[in-house]
Amino acid sequence: MKDFLRNTWKHRAHVVMALPAFLILFFIMYVPMTGVCLAFKDYKTSAGIFGSDWNGLENFKFLIASKRIFLRMTRNTLIYYVIFTAVGTVLNVALAVAIDQCVFKKATKTMQTIMIIPVFISYAAVQFIANAFLHDQTGIINNTFGTDFRFFTDAGVPFWPLILTIIKIWKDTGYGAVLYMSVLAGVDSSLYEAAEIDGASKWQKIWHISLPALIPMITVMLLLSVGSIMKSDTGLFYQVTRNVGAIHETTQVIDSYVFHAVKTSNNIGFTAATSLFQSVTGLLLMLFANGVVRKVHPDNALF
Amino acid sequence: MSKKKGNMADLAPSRRDKKGFGQYLLVFILFVYTVLCALPIFLVFVSAFADDKWIAQNGFSFWPGEWSMAGFNSVLRYGSKLLTSYGVTLFVTIVGTAFGLLVMSMFAYAISRKGFRLARFLSIYLLIPMLFNGGQLSGYIVFTQWYHLKDSLLLLILPLSVTTMNVIILRTYIVNSIPSELMEAAKIDGAGEYRTFFQITLPLLKPSLAAVGFMLATSYWNDWQNAMLYIKSDSKQPLQLLLVSIQSSIEFLLNNTNVPASVRAAMGGTIPQYSSTMATVLIVIGPIMVAYPFFQKYFIKGLTVGSVKG
Repeated sequence: MKDFLRNTWKHRAHVVMALPAFLILFFIMYVPMTGVCLAFKDYKTSAGIFGSDWNGLENFKFLIASKRIFLRMTRNTLIYYVIFTAVGTVLNVALAVAIDQCVFKKATKTMQTIMIIPVFISYAAVQFIANAFLHDQTGIINNTFGTDFRFFTDAGVPFWPLILTIIKIWKDTGYGAVLYMSVLAGVDSSLYEAAEIDGASKWQKIWHISLPALIPMITVMLLLSVGSIMKSDTGLFYQVTRNVGAIHETTQVIDSYVFHAVKTSNNIGFTAATSLFQSVTGLLLMLFANGVVRKVHPDNALF
Repeated sequence: MSKKKGNMADLAPSRRDKKGFGQYLLVFILFVYTVLCALPIFLVFVSAFADDKWIAQNGFSFWPGEWSMAGFNSVLRYGSKLLTSYGVTLFVTIVGTAFGLLVMSMFAYAISRKGFRLARFLSIYLLIPMLFNGGQLSGYIVFTQWYHLKDSLLLLILPLSVTTMNVIILRTYIVNSIPSELMEAAKIDGAGEYRTFFQITLPLLKPSLAAVGFMLATSYWNDWQNAMLYIKSDSKQPLQLLLVSIQSSIEFLLNNTNVPASVRAAMGGTIPQYSSTMATVLIVIGPIMVAYPFFQKYFIKGLTVGSVKG
């Protein structure tokens, strides 16, 4: 102990340097953790977090009573996770391999710059662009095909998974490919030369050299994403859908529900119970994912 | 900074392939995908310069029939409001990015020091928020009722300033790419800890700072969630919130037929809808699109280095 204190004193400059970030994390991340007790309380604004009365599992009973909404947003959260992760991984890898294989380096570099730009456009702006395509009277889709889709009404419900997936692909694929490209750039080029001498075709080279080189990174990215299954891109589900109630059936996810509830101070008990469910599930999945990563690829484990 | 120039594509110079038919097909497919990526952004451009009435009659088009500067003119009608929002967003982005980079790189430097025994605790302390958090609801209650920070710009700056992932990226760069002999040599020459950090480590950390800084700046520029929850007064409204409120005020005007004629007249006879909102969108997303190509080099490199744990 004395040793430890002496060591800390010797490194006091480092303690001072670490202090600002330490305090920010403390006040922004750690203090709100005490709020998880709200899931077991009957929250009254006037009484505050600690002053409000405990009400046991009342909030969870409420959660189960209105399970239609709860199950719907949990289902949507999970389904979109699966769609986005599956489609996203395949496209990111395909794009990375395509750019890596292309010999017109200057052209691909310019194209890559353009492909990455959408990731930097906020969803607050994306919703206007989406609306220009989807609007029932002035939208490009209805105009081009002479159709009369009303995407923001009950009739639009089945279309939204497709719409949101397309927007997600547009926004994230260029950016997502960067990581895989950096792996491909590190592949020893003598492997390709040797394969060529042995008479391997282009596809055989991709299949037997490029893809195996990517597998560790794909595994790691997939496993790490498991830890954030319960989290969604709030902007995509809240802004782009404009949180229209008629299409909640296929567009409401846990994060967009909680955001709206917090904003309007509605259903605090229900929201607190949902948040706790989300946080605890997230924690368990993250620990699980990290455990698996540590077995498969120890260098990439988070802890 | 590394002497290697250019993008990572150059790393495999010996792979010279013949430009056969397959290559032309491949570049064509990539080109088509690029065009698809650019089309929505192109649509924003042309719609901002299109005639509002023409769009109302014919709908949005990639090549509208009539052009007009009226969209930008009516953006000027937001006038001081738009300027204020630009000011707020610029302030938050610049201060937040500079503050966040400084605070995070100091933390990253501290926890990467050998022999510093508290570093182990600090690393775990850094990781926990990634695993578990109180959720949006308790954050909201704590920030507004305990700290009384409602309507404060601090809530736009502090919550985004320190993220676990960014600290890890910076730490990895310090451990892997900055020789610790340099820091030790500085100390032997009599430089104190702070001087070593600011004059030796920080300059060498530049590539990573550029990458993390650009991502951080983008997250500040694009943040609408915190603004929507916490900012109430018009004078503190950032750009993204202005965009959202334009949308809701248009919806309000369209859905309320009993809006007084005087209000409609003040809005220029018609409710500004298509070209003016697109002009606003263009003004909001423009700076990032212009800045990005300059940062791309660092950005890709920073991401790449950060992905390997030290």
